[in-house]
Amino acid sequence: MRWAMFSVTFGKKKPWPHRRLSAFLLLLAMLAGTGCRRALPVIAVIPRTCGTALWEPEHAGAAAVARERRLNIYWNAPMRDDDIQSQIALIDQSLKRGYAGIIVSPIETLPMRTPIRRVLARGVPTVVVGTELGIAPEPHLAYVLSDERAAGEMAARRIGAILRGNGTIAILGINPQLMSNVVRERSLETTLAREFPGVRVAARQFGLSSVPQEQQAAEELLAKGVKIDAIVALSLASTRGAYYALVEFGKDGIIKLVGFDQDLIPPIRTGGIDSVVAQDTFEMGRLAMDQIDRELHGKGGATELLVPPVLMTRENVDSAQIRQILNLAWWPPQ
Amino acid sequence: MKKIASGRNLSIACIAIAAMALLAVAGWSVFHSVARRGPFEPQQVSLEKQDDWQAFGGTWQSAGGVMQNNSDERGAKLMSGPTYWTNYSIEADVLLLGQYGDAGVILRSTDEEEGVDAYHGYMAGLRDLDNTLILGRADYGWREYAAKPVAPRVYAQQWYHVKFLAYGCDFAVSATATSGQTTIVAVEDPDCLPAGRFGLKSYNTGAEWKNIEIRPATRQDLVAMTGGVRPPIAAPVQLPTGAEPGSYDKYFEPLHRDLLAHRADVNAQPISALRLLSPDIPASVTVHGVVTLTSPVLFVQDSTGGLAIPESHTHAPLQIGDEIEAKGNAELHDFSSQLRDADVRLLWSHTPVPPVAVTAAQAATGAFDAEYVEIEGRLAQKSEGPKHTLVLTLDDGSQSFLAIVSETGQAMRLHHLKERSRLRLRGICVVDPAYTHDLTSFALLLPSFNDVEVVEGPPWWNAGHIAALIIGVLLLALAGLSCYTLIERWRMQAVLEERGRLAHEMHDTLAQSFAGLGFQLEAIRDEASEGQNIVPQLDVALDMVRNSHEEARRSIAMLRPEHLESMGLLRAVEYCTRRMVNGASSIAVRIFSEGGERAIPLRISDTLMRIGQEAVANAVRHAHPAHINISLGYQQGSVVMIVEDDGCGFSASGDLAGFGISGMHKRADSIGAAFAIRSAPGAGTTVRVQAPTPPSFLLTIRRRIPLLWRKQSDGNAGR
Repeated sequence: MRWAMFSVTFGKKKPWPHRRLSAFLLLLAMLAGTGCRRALPVIAVIPRTCGTALWEPEHAGAAAVARERRLNIYWNAPMRDDDIQSQIALIDQSLKRGYAGIIVSPIETLPMRTPIRRVLARGVPTVVVGTELGIAPEPHLAYVLSDERAAGEMAARRIGAILRGNGTIAILGINPQLMSNVVRERSLETTLAREFPGVRVAARQFGLSSVPQEQQAAEELLAKGVKIDAIVALSLASTRGAYYALVEFGKDGIIKLVGFDQDLIPPIRTGGIDSVVAQDTFEMGRLAMDQIDRELHGKGGATELLVPPVLMTRENVDSAQIRQILNLAWWPPQ
Repeated sequence: MKKIASGRNLSIACIAIAAMALLAVAGWSVFHSVARRGPFEPQQVSLEKQDDWQAFGGTWQSAGGVMQNNSDERGAKLMSGPTYWTNYSIEADVLLLGQYGDAGVILRSTDEEEGVDAYHGYMAGLRDLDNTLILGRADYGWREYAAKPVAPRVYAQQWYHVKFLAYGCDFAVSATATSGQTTIVAVEDPDCLPAGRFGLKSYNTGAEWKNIEIRPATRQDLVAMTGGVRPPIAAPVQLPTGAEPGSYDKYFEPLHRDLLAHRADVNAQPISALRLLSPDIPASVTVHGVVTLTSPVLFVQDSTGGLAIPESHTHAPLQIGDEIEAKGNAELHDFSSQLRDADVRLLWSHTPVPPVAVTAAQAATGAFDAEYVEIEGRLAQKSEGPKHTLVLTLDDGSQSFLAIVSETGQAMRLHHLKERSRLRLRGICVVDPAYTHDLTSFALLLPSFNDVEVVEGPPWWNAGHIAALIIGVLLLALAGLSCYTLIERWRMQAVLEERGRLAHEMHDTLAQSFAGLGFQLEAIRDEASEGQNIVPQLDVALDMVRNSHEEARRSIAMLRPEHLESMGLLRAVEYCTRRMVNGASSIAVRIFSEGGERAIPLRISDTLMRIGQEAVANAVRHAHPAHINISLGYQQGSVVMIVEDDGCGFSASGDLAGFGISGMHKRADSIGAAFAIRSAPGAGTTVRVQAPTPPSFLLTIRRRIPLLWRKQSDGNAGR
């Protein structure tokens, strides 16, 4: 029936504008293609941003599973990791394009709830990576999270070990807008209070949206002359900002820095950054794509998967485990 | 078995359709390429034609032959050219504005979107983070094929000539420093992207490009770049920058450069505090703030207030939203301060200040001097200001204020704003008499055209519109009157024509009969006075009266269409014919119908009816037939009526005036029907009319609409 309609239209004598004809022919070709062979389902994978050591491994992990399961990936993200509006626009665009599933790592918790609800209302399988949204897992919604409670404990124990149970610290990069950050902050403080009562938190600062702002905040802290033995930076930007401030004040290596989220690797080798609690985003991407594939085959379900974090130190930075976490190879093996 | 056959048929159909589609696409591609592809000549790319470029992120602007992206977004792209270009090179002089990023050129690109690596294509450029010339491929994800150290090194704010060439699946890029030292990288990508357009790209830094040239590439061009050495197969790096062992030395310096670029003076003062400095003691101060306006004067703002920096030394072009550090001499004014001889340094970007929504009355107090505000007002007038500016005068309540915007670029669109429109404007509130000329309490300096938003257009009820409305109503009334007059004239003309036709009809029939009757009665009177036998004459007169009566009945029957509506065409013709031949028992009438009888528009059936009546009347009056056959044939798109008799017939050369043939012909013409008469003396006469009919569905609609209307009316009446 559809073909008959087209053949009639095609038979019109009036010449069409080139663009319309071109579009028609393309449509014809697409219809022919879809009629004869199903295109692979496309899964949108939308991290907080692209092209970073933290999020590119997620691409690699997701792509590895997608190749096995014959799925296509649309990988894109905002150009800045604080641009929540662009991330929401990408989700809406994925819906419009009719992608078969969406994997998203929200930049912020609250603004993402409505877009995710919208996706779920359309019955599109969704996996939220990296942070809770406050929406309970349901048949089309699964979470793949880095175990932030464990991450906070890991950072606290590292601080306790470095300071041998006594000293003052500053906590930078507190971000109530991201639930994962809140969880890691609370876990850090709880663990410190429980296991290392001799470690006192001398300063707490909210996270800011960019490295320079974080750097300035750390500079101001150091300029106040508050005695600090160590800094815990709860985000990628605050870790880098704190490191820059320490270098600037000649305190790198002297004031110990325990950061979160892999970004700067060379200072870990020199001790400028003591350690970084890394998210295994490669594994998170792999599990998220696997979960989507299960959903597409009706085997999914309300799921919350926790991926253990890894403490990246000078001692293990070249280990196979860390190299796998930093793996960027999203492309097919050559 | 049946399923297998249908499946096979489906497959064959699919393959056939796909083949047809491919053929069509291929044919179109050939046509398209022939029609659109001209010879690929070397060309200097124009930076001035904005329409030729498509931006994906970034803040792009061209001036003086230089294309600049002032944004340090990660992955800003500016694309141009057709997607079918295959072997070509792009050359450009490239300058990185900042540290810790890269900038270069793209070729063979398709499917671009906003996003860090959101395109399919190849990019090559310079990266000052690790001092390398890079070459790689993006497929919505980056594969870095090569990163070669540049000689002597990559410095920000220095020009490098970059040439990137694609031939087949070989790619080569060279970077030449001002010192003349050239660095070359080449790779082969076996599974390469075959074609695409070119573009400019920067990552994590602003950059500039100039002297952009596109040339077709040949193998000789490739050999000239690579020296004939076969490029290695591309192998992408698998770990992030700096993750390889031993990379610390390589990255420490760029990291330090990056941190120093962002190092800020921790003793900066709040902007509002400057106003409280002693007016008599010169003070050198440092402030931090976000740029809210760059032209005509630099304005910055922190959480405490705004500040103008009339004379500044900047190290890089500033954009609205940049966080800066400014060191200079504070100059106190009534409501705010200014910073003179300031040294301005960019700290970071992308922290735009949201405007404060105020009323004109609030802004008029001066409390918001030098701050970024949003105000609504009604446009009173527009005028040209000094230094190519456009000055808008606005009213809001009891206050008037000025809005000043540069006329360059898209601000020309402001000329199209209509007076009395309500506008929402965002700009820097200033009370400086240099801007207000003491005519208003404050003025707004608008950063761009985009800071003007039309909240509502001017009120519709103005003198011009009212005059136009009155004229329009008058014209409409005049047109209505003309139409009415015309229709009345047509109606009158139709009535007169009908009267004329009736007059002719009566003249031809009743008048002549009465005249004959009159002569007959005169003869009877004469003969009666002479005592002669008048009975034969009375018989003749009676015959004449009878005939006249018949004629009158026939004429009346012809004027009444209700038979036609109630009986349908065939029966109506039969009814009239039988009435006409009534009394002439020797004439046998036969009616035939071919094809399925269907509805015919009344205009057509009425005309056929009249022609049929005329033909039958002619036969009865003049031909003395034994038989009259009438047939109606319903064909696809037409209806045919044939009236034939076996009477005496007539010769075409004879006098036909009395037979009404011309009338029948005219009637046929009025409905676009073909009309023909065939006759010969002694051979009877055949009249044939073939009238076109509209498609049946149209007729159904036309019939149903009045019915529905009637039902609706009946329903309403019933209520």
